[in-house]
Amino acid sequence: MNTQPNRRPLIILLILSAITLGYLALDRSADSQGTFRASSVVTTIAILLALVKVRFIFREFMQVRNAPALLCRLTDLWVLIIGAALLGSYFSGLAVH
Amino acid sequence: MTDNAGEGKRDRAIPGQPDMWVLVLFEALVFTAYFAVYLYHRSADSELFLRSQAQLRPLFGTLDTLLLLTSSLFMLRCAQTARAGAHRTAMTSAYITAFLGVAFLISKITEWIMLVRGGHGFSSNDFFMYYFFLTGIHLLHLLIGFIAIGVIVYQLRGPARRSQELVETCAVYWHTVDLLWVLIFSLLYVVR
Repeated sequence: MNTQPNRRPLIILLILSAITLGYLALDRSADSQGTFRASSVVTTIAILLALVKVRFIFREFMQVRNAPALLCRLTDLWVLIIGAALLGSYFSGLAVH
Repeated sequence: MTDNAGEGKRDRAIPGQPDMWVLVLFEALVFTAYFAVYLYHRSADSELFLRSQAQLRPLFGTLDTLLLLTSSLFMLRCAQTARAGAHRTAMTSAYITAFLGVAFLISKITEWIMLVRGGHGFSSNDFFMYYFFLTGIHLLHLLIGFIAIGVIVYQLRGPARRSQELVETCAVYWHTVDLLWVLIFSLLYVVR
């Protein structure tokens, strides 16, 4: 029985951590001298990166990659639904207000 | 985490019990509804939300995210080593997952205390209402996650009662706690 660690999940963790740390740079680019400024670009990028991370978690950590195709498609559909709901509510809020 | 030779060839099975996946996808939809309402209201008074958001400490949010992502890695390792029959290694991974979860809990409570001491409570304004509601309900899920880890350890300790399906079911729940936090972090700390 081989119980040697597989490197793939570790690489995934490093990618997810890099995206998380990238948020800090995104934060700094959005603000000027400590004052937070509204930015649709930053909001959209933040939501899209979060969705990328969610898909990684589904596929790699929750082992959906090795699951039946139905579960793969269902989780992908869920990511799309979440994305549509978040971006839709954000932009519809902007349009209304 | 194992790379057992048969893993790639094993039947494509649903990790854990299908009922847990129904719960996970339902929970994701419920949280999405909360997030959608938050983002919509945010647009109504973006100045207030931005001013309030500036009171948060992004380093706390980043640290919390890294803690939960790492805990997910160890939970995956736990499920995979249990499947490979290395129950002692699996148990160690479960303990590390719990430790990282406790670190998240301490970090979150510390941030709450700092905010409250700074005069920002649940009823301060709409942003902090959403902040404490979302992080609070997430923390409740984390506490349930500790029970899931307890179930895993209980399963792994007794050779007679070991159920790989139950271990994987609890692991799926823990990953959901991580997944929800990833969304909460970007919505509360990063969006502008």
